[in-house]
Parts: sequence; structure tokens; C-alpha cells
Amino acid sequence: MKRNGRLPVAVLGAGLIGVDLAEKIMRSEVLDCVMVVGRDENTPGLRQAADLGLHVGTRGVASLLDAPGPIAMVFDATNAMAHAEHAERLRGAGVKLVDLTPSKVGRMAVPSVNGTEVLHCDDINMISCGGQASIPILHALTQAHRVEYVEVVTTAASPSVGRSTRLNLDEYVETTQDAVRDFTGVKDVKAILNISPARPPATFRVAMSVLGEGFGTASVTAAVSAAADRVRSFVPGYRITACVVEESKVFVAAEVTSTGGRIPRYAGNLDIINSAAVHIAEQCAAVAPARTGTETS
Amino acid sequence: MSAATTPDGPGKRVLLYDASLRDGHHAVRHQLDGGQLRAYASAADAAGVPMVEVGHGNGLGASSLQVGQARLGDDEMLSIVREALRDSRMAVFMLPGWGTTADLERAIAHQVDVVRIGTHCTEGDLAERHLGFLREQGVEAQAVLLMSHMATPERLARECARLVEFGANAVGIMDSSGHYLPADVTERVAAMREAVDVPVMFHAHNNLGMAVANSVAAVEAGADILDACARGFGAGAGNTQLEVLVPVLERMGFATGIDLYGLLDAADLAERELMPAPPAIDSVSVVSGLAGVFSGFKNRVLDIARREDVDPRDVFFELGRRQAVAGQEDLIVEVALGLKAARGA
Repeated sequence: MKRNGRLPVAVLGAGLIGVDLAEKIMRSEVLDCVMVVGRDENTPGLRQAADLGLHVGTRGVASLLDAPGPIAMVFDATNAMAHAEHAERLRGAGVKLVDLTPSKVGRMAVPSVNGTEVLHCDDINMISCGGQASIPILHALTQAHRVEYVEVVTTAASPSVGRSTRLNLDEYVETTQDAVRDFTGVKDVKAILNISPARPPATFRVAMSVLGEGFGTASVTAAVSAAADRVRSFVPGYRITACVVEESKVFVAAEVTSTGGRIPRYAGNLDIINSAAVHIAEQCAAVAPARTGTETS
Repeated sequence: MSAATTPDGPGKRVLLYDASLRDGHHAVRHQLDGGQLRAYASAADAAGVPMVEVGHGNGLGASSLQVGQARLGDDEMLSIVREALRDSRMAVFMLPGWGTTADLERAIAHQVDVVRIGTHCTEGDLAERHLGFLREQGVEAQAVLLMSHMATPERLARECARLVEFGANAVGIMDSSGHYLPADVTERVAAMREAVDVPVMFHAHNNLGMAVANSVAAVEAGADILDACARGFGAGAGNTQLEVLVPVLERMGFATGIDLYGLLDAADLAERELMPAPPAIDSVSVVSGLAGVFSGFKNRVLDIARREDVDPRDVFFELGRRQAVAGQEDLIVEVALGLKAARGA
């Protein structure tokens, strides 16, 4: 279904996440953003999308189903409650979904951990910003050590947290916890989210505390640093800011700054989940049938 | 002996909200046991304290390495205090992002009377969904803004108006850092009073020795609900001292409905049974108040400063510069390591 070698994709939801996502897709060499859909053309998000020269729709998922051209993949940047319905309607139309809401509906994906295993799935869930920032590190630590408890505390700056996320805090907490359990095999997991009112805004940050046995400074720092390098290959602003190793406890903090786009530096939460989503979508495009040329869907 | 009337007759009613069994947890690393909860709840109930709040210092679902793991789970704490209260109403606190609707459902199963939803000062809309849920369940809901010194009076008033739209039955602010002087409180409470028709609450910390004075300023500016704790049992330098605030309010002509001797007995019991020593405004607490950092950081700052051999006062001022808010205890390690590295450089 590729056109000119690029896979036609659309963004559903024109909040903070949706608009940054559209911009990132425009920079992709393998994805073609054919539409951004919201509910109201007067919202800042849809106006920004139109200013970028993108085709916009205002009738939610209906705009996508009536789209003039083919759409192979839709990024759902709406909210967790709405995703199940979107998935049902779009999958029926043969569209693949990359879900940026904490809905738990699709297969959970963290590019540097299971990116290559999810490419065939028709609904891929990006978990949460905190999940994307912590699971690579936690996965690496739990591969190499015996772990009994994992805690993830995320802090995002107030202006980087849009209305859907604000209404989805319960889903954020539950989905992040479930994902950490899934990826680490540790049952006892706690996720916490702070929204910081600081001005100037605080840089997005995730703090991980891990309880277990036999942690050694050398093995922990090697595992953490290798995992961070893998994330940095597609999120350049990802860095470890603290790593404290004790015999039975490890504390690791990571900060993510946004780089390259129009969103502010502190909004690493938007950058990491969107970069992860685009990274996965590009890999999907690479394995999609490469029929370039004039055909329709 | 009743202190509920004054020579001039009963004045305006002020509702005292006793946070000893929630905020006090910060002072003892969330380690109160069942016997302690039961004993104090019974004493507060006997004194006619109208509201008794219980739980982990950071509220429902907050037990964690980040802020401290509680000795007892939420269910156990609520069931013990529920059983001990005959007349007093039981209240709980929850921060969205820390606790979830599932925690609220469990608190409702324990027949909680009042739920407080807290958010940082400018983030009231984080409470929208939980306030809506409580309204649907018919549970009285209050909404409180934490770290309120970080926002202007106008902004706090706007947030409060929004919280009322979301369904809050009362709204207010916490001076989470003990940073306010009375004039700051007057200005903020007056702005909130103007903005909403529901009761307004104020919660003081005593870092600069202003807790009672600030509470008096709040009630004079129109606040209807004041938080306080026995012996000031709370984070850092402690909260407003309940057994001082009540007679002060009565002397001012306000009515609290609380029995003085019962109150003093409860406070004596609290000092004897709940705390190694009553909170004091020590040097670190003064700095924490000046720096505008959450008072509950104190124990963690002292632990980490000792471990990394840095001055805890420097840690507090640097946390203040970075505008760390309650819940961001993870920053303490980084700040301490940064100070240590800067010294070595």
C-alpha cells in the first residue's frame, strides 16, 4: 500500500501528542502523513497541523474511514477510553493501529526491548511516556539480576501534559504497572506520576528503584548504560542522571529532553513516546509489502 | 468542660479537620501501628473533634520507596479508625497519580465520610475525574491545592472555582512548605473566598513558626475549615497545633464544638503514644520553609545528606531552586550527588 515508497499513515487526535507526532512523521523517509484528525478545526492542534500543510479532518474516526486515499496505519493519540472503539472500527477497515493512549488494548511495545516482535500485530500499544523511559532500563536490570520489587516515579512538566492524559491518570498508573510486570517478570510493581507546576518547567524525568539481591556496581552500570544507548539511538535526548547501587537496592534516574522538533526541550515525555511510536511504525513500514507505484489499497 | 461557647455566645462555626493520623505519619516514616491509630482516634472522637483523617502521609495508595513504605496497608488503617470513631467523621486523602479510583472504591467500602483529593497548586484538573466519581458515589469530596505558595492568589482562586465545577464540596490550599506569612494567607484565602460559594479550607505548616498565626489569618479572611494536628504532629517542623488553635479560635469568638479537656487529653496521648518527640522548628526546618520545599522531605534529606556528606541546608536550597514539589523525593539523591561532585571539582 506504499505510495512513492512511503507508507500512508494518519494521526487521530490533535492534542500535544498528535501534533508533535505529525511533525515527526513528516520528517520520516518511510512514512507519509496523509491526514491529522481532530474534532474541531478551531483547536490550536488542528490549526497547527493545517499550517504544516497537512490535510485535516474534524469528524474523529469517521474522517479516517471516509478518507479519499488509502491509509495503512493510524496513530491513536486520543484517550484510553476511546481507543477500543477506534480499534474496532479501523481494524475492520484493514488499518493497522499504533496506540499512544494507555488503553491496554493492543500488544505493548518498547522498541529497544521487543520492537521486532510486535511488527505483525494490528494494534500496537506504546504504554506510556514513563513506560517508554523506564522499561528498557528495568528490563536490562531484571535480565541480569534477581529482583523482587520495582518502582517507577515519573515527573512531567505541567505544560507538557494535555487534557486526555490528565483524565487518564488511573490508566497511566495501571498500564505502566502492567507493562513493567510484563516486561520484567516482577510481580510487585508500583508506578507513580507527578505533574510538576515548576516555572520554568521541569525536564521530564523518571526515577526507578529496584529491590533485589546481589547487585554489583560494575554489572548494574554496564547494563544501565547499554540499555540507555539503545534508547538514545532513536531518542537523542535520553540520558541517565543518577545511578546508585547498593547490595540489595538500585536507584536509577533518567531525564529526557526533546530534541529536533518544535516542542520545548523539557517535554521529553512527548518526545520519547512519539519517537518510540514512529520508530515502530517505520519498522512496520520496512516489512510491509513494498508495492510502490500507483495502486490503491 | 465545654469550650464551645464564648462570653459573647457562639460565634461563627469553624470546622477543625484533624490530620494527625495522616500528616503525622511523615514524622514517623509512616510507621504508626494499629494500637496507636486506635488510641488516638478514640481520644479525638471523645473530644468531639469533627473530622479525623487517616492514612499514609501522602494519602491512599502512596506507600512506596519514593516517600516511605507504611507499616500498615490502607485497608487496615481505615478499618481500625472506622471502628474507633463513633461521632467524628472519617476522612482520607488521595493524590491522583499516586492513588487511583480503585483506592477510592476501597475507602468507600470502609465507609469513609469525606475524601480529599489533592493536586499541586496549578493542576486542579488532575482531580476532575476523581471528584466526578465521588460525586456519583454520593461521597463528600474536598479538593486541596498543594505547594500553594508557587501560584498567585488569582491563579489559586481560578483553580478553586474550577474544582467546584468538577464537584468539590469544599476547596482550599496547603502551605506544604511552611513558607507563608500571615499577609500571604490573607490575600490567598480572600481571593478564594471571593471565587467560590463552598467552604474554604487552609492547612498550615510551622517551618517559620507561623502555623497558628497563619490559621488565624485564614479564618479572619473567611476560611471555614482549618487543618491541625495534635502537638502539631506532621511533616518537618509540624503542622498547626490543634490543642492551641482550638482555644485561640474560641477566644476569638469562633465556635469549634470541641471539648477543651478532651482535646488536651488527646494531645497528651498523642505526645506519649504517637511520636518520639513533638515536632520542633530545627535549623533544617527553617531552611526548608525559606526555600519553599515540601516539609516532608526532611527525614530523607537528612538521611541522604549524611550518607553523601553534604550540608542538608544546601540540599534544601538547591531543591528550592529546582522547584522540587512534594512527590519528587527522587531529586534529593541527585541534588546531594551534584553538591558532592561540585565540592570535589
